[in-house]
Amino acid sequence: MTARETGTRLLLAAAIALLAGLPFVGVPQFTITLLTEALIFAVWAMSLDLLVGYAGLVTFGHAAAFGLASYAAGYFAREVTADFFVALLVAEAVVGLVALTTGFVVTRVSGVAFAIISLCIAQVLFQVAVAWRSVTQGMDGLVGVPLPSIFGVTLGTGTPFYLLTLACMVVTYLALARLVDSPFGRTLHAIRTSEDRAAAIGINVRLHKWIAFVISWAIAGLGGTLMVFMKAGTTPMSLHWAESGNVLVMAIFGGIGTLLGPVVGAISFVFLRDEFTTRFTAWQLAFGLVFVVVVLAFPAGLAGIFSRAWNALWRARS
Amino acid sequence: MMFGALRAVDDVSLEVQAGHVHSLIGPNGAGKTTAFNCISGVCRPAGGQVLLNGADVTGWPSHRLVSAGMARTFQITKVFGELTVLENVALATRSRMGCNLQVWGSARGRTDATAQAAEILKLLGLDGSADATADHLAHGDKRVLEIAIALALRPTVLLLDEPTAGMSTGETQRAAELIRSIAQRTSVLLVEHDMEMVLGISDIITVMTQGRVIASGPPAVVSADTRVQDAYLGAVDAWST
Repeated sequence: MTARETGTRLLLAAAIALLAGLPFVGVPQFTITLLTEALIFAVWAMSLDLLVGYAGLVTFGHAAAFGLASYAAGYFAREVTADFFVALLVAEAVVGLVALTTGFVVTRVSGVAFAIISLCIAQVLFQVAVAWRSVTQGMDGLVGVPLPSIFGVTLGTGTPFYLLTLACMVVTYLALARLVDSPFGRTLHAIRTSEDRAAAIGINVRLHKWIAFVISWAIAGLGGTLMVFMKAGTTPMSLHWAESGNVLVMAIFGGIGTLLGPVVGAISFVFLRDEFTTRFTAWQLAFGLVFVVVVLAFPAGLAGIFSRAWNALWRARS
Repeated sequence: MMFGALRAVDDVSLEVQAGHVHSLIGPNGAGKTTAFNCISGVCRPAGGQVLLNGADVTGWPSHRLVSAGMARTFQITKVFGELTVLENVALATRSRMGCNLQVWGSARGRTDATAQAAEILKLLGLDGSADATADHLAHGDKRVLEIAIALALRPTVLLLDEPTAGMSTGETQRAAELIRSIAQRTSVLLVEHDMEMVLGISDIITVMTQGRVIASGPPAVVSADTRVQDAYLGAVDAWST
């Protein structure tokens, strides 16, 4: 390992330690709650990055995986048991099944067709959530999801749940970082560059896109499960295309194809939204302006700024 | 092969012998690229068969053809532009080693694959640019990288689609020597319109016009064939003078 790689790892470890320490150094509960939401979005945005940034599959329907997991985990937790890992397992089974079936169809295409068909799948799930009142309570949404428990211990809202979320986010990052660096991860890059070329070196393009799709949905499912426990419920809006747009904004804002970018993007999104909603009625307009300026000035996103500075620092040293 | 009612390639039959450089030539519109696409699995022929080492591989998807021993290059250069030259070839060697689906462990950790890739680059004289980004290569070197990627798959037959397209005279000369030398490792099916280059390096030449084969045989026989001279060489001479 080079000195630079060691430096990067130390920086990441310091960032994680800082995040984990925040609740214990007097940071207000309100900020911790915002940060919890931001870290859940970070998990979701990283799962999108695998599809968009690495496999080159832009989707307008990534809310489907998130919202579906929220409904599955929330319903199961309310009706059966609020054990976090059992609820997560159930949510993953549901998300996995839907991802395997819809993914098989949707990954047969690429580009705009992929974006639109994945949007359609999310809208179908949205309509199901609205219409299947006996399970979902329609537009009122699923309510009364109990607090999660781990190994029989009920986690309170606030710090314990925040730490659980942080742990999930870190594990997701480490797993995805390994995945994109693996031989499989490199084949996704090949597919993104040219599907024909990838196929011509023996890569089964459809199979690889399908696997990436299922992994992406499974990770989004972790985010959705955390979210339904955090909010103690969910509504059909979690499946709405506007949410799919939001997660794309987070990933692009932070910098796609970097994994850490979407984390930075999700945190920025949540805090900017909080800042803007207290000042403007049309907060989306203000956020939209910031988004356009950042993306035009830094096409590689916020992470691009950091990595450029980090690289410059190492160049200056050597 | 039919495009609507148009019969683009009709009754074309050719056999690539092991260790041969077999060229498929013809003027524009002769159907050689269509024939190439039928063989390489891009489109499925309306009739006929593609046999590889005796096995019927007609209409197989590209990735299966690769594992069966057929590799190809593209007429329009398609390399992985953001990756290094070495990583371009290492993708192919890893693919051949069957670790495409390995999700754990670093790709760079497969040093066996990287070593083989470096060997191929050395063989083709690209070892000097191994760490360069593929997009930064000169056009001629990109074409050679295409061949390196395909060769890394250790095919029994290598399909080259106009490998010298857009090359300078010097680069073409170098590429011709290269193709001749790789025939020691794999059979080559070469699709070209550059008659002069093909004459120098081919064991067998098949000439097509208007979707049909008009002559097939060793360079000396084919170039002496009057139908070939009329249909192809004459046309080229008339065009180039």
